[in-house]
Amino acid sequence: MFQLSIIKDTVPLHPATFGQAPEAALKHALNKKYANRVLHNVGLCVAVFDLVSAGSGRVRYGDGLLYYKVAFRMVVFRPFVGEVVIARVRSADEEGVRLTMGFFDDMYVPLAYLPQPSAFDPSERAHFWLPSSDDDTETAPADLLDSPKDARMYIDAGEVLRVRVESDMFCDDEPGPPRAGEGGVAPPPVRERRAPYSVVCSISEQGLGPVAWWKAAQVEGGEDEMMEE
Amino acid sequence: MEIIKARSAFLSNYEVLTLLRELEAEHIARTKTAVRIKKEEDAGHTHHDPNADEVLENLRTIELEGIQYLSADYQPTRQQSDAGIQRLVNNLASYDLTKAEKLQIVNLAPTEPVELYVIVEELEDRLGGQMEDILGAVSSSLDGRGVGQQAPPPSAGDGRRFGNALAHEAEVYVEEEQDYWQQTANDVEFDDMGEGAGIEGDLDVDDD
Repeated sequence: MFQLSIIKDTVPLHPATFGQAPEAALKHALNKKYANRVLHNVGLCVAVFDLVSAGSGRVRYGDGLLYYKVAFRMVVFRPFVGEVVIARVRSADEEGVRLTMGFFDDMYVPLAYLPQPSAFDPSERAHFWLPSSDDDTETAPADLLDSPKDARMYIDAGEVLRVRVESDMFCDDEPGPPRAGEGGVAPPPVRERRAPYSVVCSISEQGLGPVAWWKAAQVEGGEDEMMEE
Repeated sequence: MEIIKARSAFLSNYEVLTLLRELEAEHIARTKTAVRIKKEEDAGHTHHDPNADEVLENLRTIELEGIQYLSADYQPTRQQSDAGIQRLVNNLASYDLTKAEKLQIVNLAPTEPVELYVIVEELEDRLGGQMEDILGAVSSSLDGRGVGQQAPPPSAGDGRRFGNALAHEAEVYVEEEQDYWQQTANDVEFDDMGEGAGIEGDLDVDDD
């Protein structure tokens, strides 16, 4: 789920920090710049792990800052494709389920990756799975809503889910530098802001989905074994 | 800025939690010093540490939310210890598992077959008979306090004793779990294990 990325950067240190150990001041500056930010195609930065190397600080003409060329290792949140992780349900709507890890919210389970057959119950605002129905019969989502309530397995908000990461996506929606020659300021296209980093997960396999489902199944299985003995 | 290597090594959840707790402890220590310095300043001294009163909001946010997630009651990290994970990784080395699978076993600490099925692809074909051994290795690595209270690893032919040891472990585990529920949030133990260097070495993607 977490990885170490080696990054090289030039860090300016303000004269006010000259009294400290350079290592501490550099880490502080790097954490300030990177922590809790998404690096495109790298992942969500958590914190500086350690410094790999740092050159001697140099002063440039014009300001009194010391510029250090630093290579450092960053703790980055980037679950790999196929990894199984634990997350909570944040919300659900007709499009699927949104998950949260506390520090990271842009995780989604689209309809296709829900256990089949499943449907969205608008009155409960939650998806449910019908484990008892036969696999052979194709049921329309409308029919599923007529099913008896106690046969449904709901995926409620706040529930702890075990999910498999299927894909991740980075979006860089920051406007680029203004182009010369365009004359006036072009009106910025009004678009919905996309998350810079989002993860698509699946719960359609055996063993995935709410942890409680499988805990319960295990207990039953264990009892059966006891009976056999 | 230049990315030299996006993925130089994997980190286990436990290592990240240790790092975040270290940062948290540093932050608390710094805040205390800042308060003390402020008092001294009021008394007439004029020393000033610029970093002390500059709180990194972003770092604090991810630090607290990360600790919250990684030490939640549905995570195994609260029963893991540095020594336990190291022993687990050593035990797992004898099975034919990929690095990613080992990492996930450490992160999720599967104690039930269903959980292991999800993590390991084609579990039956690859490690049909060894599944119980792996689950046993996992549950013996979960001890909560890092004190050496596990039964010694059972010999291969001694299946029955192994089963008994496992049942015993399970009981111990349940009791500890209850202990945890009773503990208050102030009582969280903090182990400074030097960022878990032992595991990192094993999960490194490359060797340099």
